[in-house]
Amino acid sequence: MHGMIFDIQRASFHDGPGIRTTVFLKGCPLRCQWCHNPESWSFEQEVFYNHDGTTQVVGKHYTVDEVMAEVVADRAYYESSGGGVTLSGGEPMAQFPFSLALLKECKAQGIHTCMETCGHAPTDRYKAILPHVDLFLFDYKATGPDHKRYTGVGQELILANLEVLYEAGAEIILRCPLIPGINDSQEHFQAIAQLEKKYPRLRGIEIMVYHNLGNDKAKRLRRDPALPGLPNPSKETSQAWLDALRELGCEKVKIG
Amino acid sequence: MADKVFQREREFTKAYQRHINDHPAIREAACLKAQYPGALGPIEAGDLFAGRIRPAAVGFTPDEWGQTAFGYYHLPARFKEVLQRSDLSPEDRAEIEAMLEFWSKENTSTKVRARYTPEMLEVMPSDNWMNEPGMVFPLYRLCGAYPNYGKLVTLGLPGLRQEIRSAQENAERAGGDGELFAGMIAALDVLADSCQFYADEALRLADTAGAERARELRIMAEVLQAIKTEAPRTFREAIQLMWLYSIVADVRNYGRMDVYLGDFLAADLDGGRLTEAEALKLLQSLWQLMADRNTRVHGRVIIGGKGRPNEANADRFALLAMEATRTVLEIEPQLSLRFYEGMNPALMEKALEVIGEGRTYPILYNDDVNIPAVEHAFELPQEEAEQYVPFGCGEYIINHRSFGTPSGVINLLKCLEVTMRNGVDPTTGERVGLELGDLSSFATFDELFEAYKRQVEYLVDFMAMQEQMEYEVVGETMANLYLSMLYDDCIERGKGIFSGGIRYLGGTLETYGNTNTADSLTAIKKLVYEEKRISPEELLAALDSNFEGYEHIREQLLAAPKYGNDDPEADSMAVAVHEHVCHTVRNQREKTDLHSYLVVIINNSANTLMGRWTAASPDGRKARVSMANGNNPTGGMDKKGITAMLNSLVKLDPAIHAGAVQNMKFSPELFTSNRDKLQALLKAYFDNGGAQAMITVVNRGDLEAAMREPEKYQHIFVRVGGFSARFVELDRDVQLEILSRTLY
Ligand code: SF4
Repeated sequence: MHGMIFDIQRASFHDGPGIRTTVFLKGCPLRCQWCHNPESWSFEQEVFYNHDGTTQVVGKHYTVDEVMAEVVADRAYYESSGGGVTLSGGEPMAQFPFSLALLKECKAQGIHTCMETCGHAPTDRYKAILPHVDLFLFDYKATGPDHKRYTGVGQELILANLEVLYEAGAEIILRCPLIPGINDSQEHFQAIAQLEKKYPRLRGIEIMVYHNLGNDKAKRLRRDPALPGLPNPSKETSQAWLDALRELGCEKVKIG
Repeated sequence: MADKVFQREREFTKAYQRHINDHPAIREAACLKAQYPGALGPIEAGDLFAGRIRPAAVGFTPDEWGQTAFGYYHLPARFKEVLQRSDLSPEDRAEIEAMLEFWSKENTSTKVRARYTPEMLEVMPSDNWMNEPGMVFPLYRLCGAYPNYGKLVTLGLPGLRQEIRSAQENAERAGGDGELFAGMIAALDVLADSCQFYADEALRLADTAGAERARELRIMAEVLQAIKTEAPRTFREAIQLMWLYSIVADVRNYGRMDVYLGDFLAADLDGGRLTEAEALKLLQSLWQLMADRNTRVHGRVIIGGKGRPNEANADRFALLAMEATRTVLEIEPQLSLRFYEGMNPALMEKALEVIGEGRTYPILYNDDVNIPAVEHAFELPQEEAEQYVPFGCGEYIINHRSFGTPSGVINLLKCLEVTMRNGVDPTTGERVGLELGDLSSFATFDELFEAYKRQVEYLVDFMAMQEQMEYEVVGETMANLYLSMLYDDCIERGKGIFSGGIRYLGGTLETYGNTNTADSLTAIKKLVYEEKRISPEELLAALDSNFEGYEHIREQLLAAPKYGNDDPEADSMAVAVHEHVCHTVRNQREKTDLHSYLVVIINNSANTLMGRWTAASPDGRKARVSMANGNNPTGGMDKKGITAMLNSLVKLDPAIHAGAVQNMKFSPELFTSNRDKLQALLKAYFDNGGAQAMITVVNRGDLEAAMREPEKYQHIFVRVGGFSARFVELDRDVQLEILSRTLY
């Protein structure tokens, strides 16, 4: 069995607790307009056409053992920091058998596991993977019909999966990408605040402030960016978002 | 009356000539008397301690002044300058010319070179390692003295004098050699006279100074008067004595300062004689004096670590020293913190705070790795290994008990380059090495590797011999009085430090190009011998043309595995190259009288200077480009992140050499927002066997350079928004945005 992976980033400090190795799985069922990893959409190998005329292949097949060889090398760093492995993407659930096998192997070797997920995958798969994930970084991207409009899929399955995971006792941090003029609406903020109330055991809520670095990657993939020219929000804007959420009663929210 | 031109040089030369046939200790004492106080610089505004240096064009130093000037040195450039003066009288000119003539034969470096065998001269035809190609070069110097400052400040001048006198009486009673001791007493007189000189100057300056400065200068004068005749009683007196000694003795590393000043500090603070703020002010002044001395690669102050009898007081000093480093924005002293599992955690916390502000200090040394490594490398018992101190760029020796001058450099990449071309240096076309065949004549990779090893081994024999000769010349011609009185065993044995006095006389060899050599061998092994994608002829042609027209070859070479990525293939080659040169050098202790002879893998500009004279190499490096620094990965070739890089570093055994520097750069953000993760990162690295860390916190300049030369800055990671990225992979406007943020 092979997984299609587009990067393994060691010494990752921002994808869960401690020092982590983040495995980026290639392929995603969503098409978020603000996506900063457009190279993660396709399940196939692709090519970056760099501005300097060089090319670069994106995506490589790995066996679980090959990934583990790289993962275990940093064990001392996980232990000293309370870190471990994070599956990210793309969408790890979209390569379910591989992700499951990799997570199982990590747990068998005593390594802490995180999975970043958009929530869009069959519910029985979440049930199956749950025992092998110590912490979910679960996306909450948009509210109501906006969800389908901006990501290409509806929100119902995602919310149902969140419910199932929560009820089954999963550790969850909610990750909310905020994109100016797209989903920074009062209605969306209220929905986030309600989730915090509904799920009191949530470990946290992190705002992921929009950044436009996906645009250049899209160009290097010879695609048109979905949000050309959208500027990055200022410090004041992100602070205002934070304040607005706090105002609505969100206590666990912070900027991730 | 104005001094005659070259007055100081004339007096020194006369003193030397008058005593040319006397006992070296007597000659040296007379020279020191002539040298001081002339070589002392004036007290400057703000100085709270006296002691600045003003070297003459001729003099005596246990270290070096310039590339080949050490021991009894002369500086030909300064002679040339003065001889060009049009106002020079014929008599003066004649006298100065005669002096130049005299010293060009009598200086210590020339005496060392004169002793070389014909074979050695063939192997080391030049001294000019900065400006000429070569595999090995000698360095003329003594380097890295760590005298017993603790003994100095405990006994003071009168106590030392008494100890020396009684040793002298014993020696004379036994019909032995009392002259060494007579020389030491005279040297102490020079030191006492220097106290008086500065005390007088301080009072003179006080007469015209404002009230506050006048008060400081009067205190300075009192302190100098006191230490002239008594052992130091206060923190201030102890500092003044150690500092003036270091200036007059021309010793450039300052020892385990927390051990020898900690008790003075604690007594003054606890006795209410000094406040914390006043103590800091004193250290800040000392730090500034060290910075102005500008030793470039020395100026070590050691704090922390095992083997400190007064740990609690020493820790108090260590914390104050780090605060001085945080607040005095200079490149010296090179504050170095030794630490171990179980040490007061406040020290490491303070260290990270100071490093996080971008000071690059303290440099961190892991006792739990280094003490066993020193035990093994130097073959010493643990109690002695606990007294290891790094000097200069990072060579370890044993505090006031051993010496380890780096007396030579070897460019390993040049050795490989010459080996691939049957002994010919491609930058000159001359045959300089052993003729063992060229690349196409080696049927297997192992044959090539064996030939490289023979080339290196042949050279190392001569380098060790050269180091020993250097010490012999020193031992025969000088007593090194200031060192001998404060180095263990010398007084007891009645011998000068290099005339049989020192307990452990060792040497070191600086190696350069280690990483490029290993990566080159990895590429050759894989591409030429295993996969046969490049023929030996093609490779040499590509290298000889600096890859012009061979870009496809260079691409393949660059894509071969590189050290620094936790890659088993590349790292095992780095280990093989490391172990070969370290063992070859270390085995020289069997062939010479040296107690130890060890590799040092240090960091100064030699990787760049020697790189200029090194052709394009099979790791994809272009001709004349810098070689990798120390045993660090080639810049930009460590692409897998900091943990992978650190994992590669710890594969190189630290127990077979005398020190290697590990440079690493971190973002300020990591230090502020993620201090706990950073601490965990360092802890795991040190637990994994990391011996030391020199940490740079990346500043604006580095990021700007990264924008200009992205290929060299692959390892800079930044936090963009809710995610992280490699800085060089970001759009220009993203980079600009990050750049503006990082400053805050
Ligand atoms: S779910 Fe993540 S990877 Fe997939 S499109 Fe959205 S942002 Fe990109």
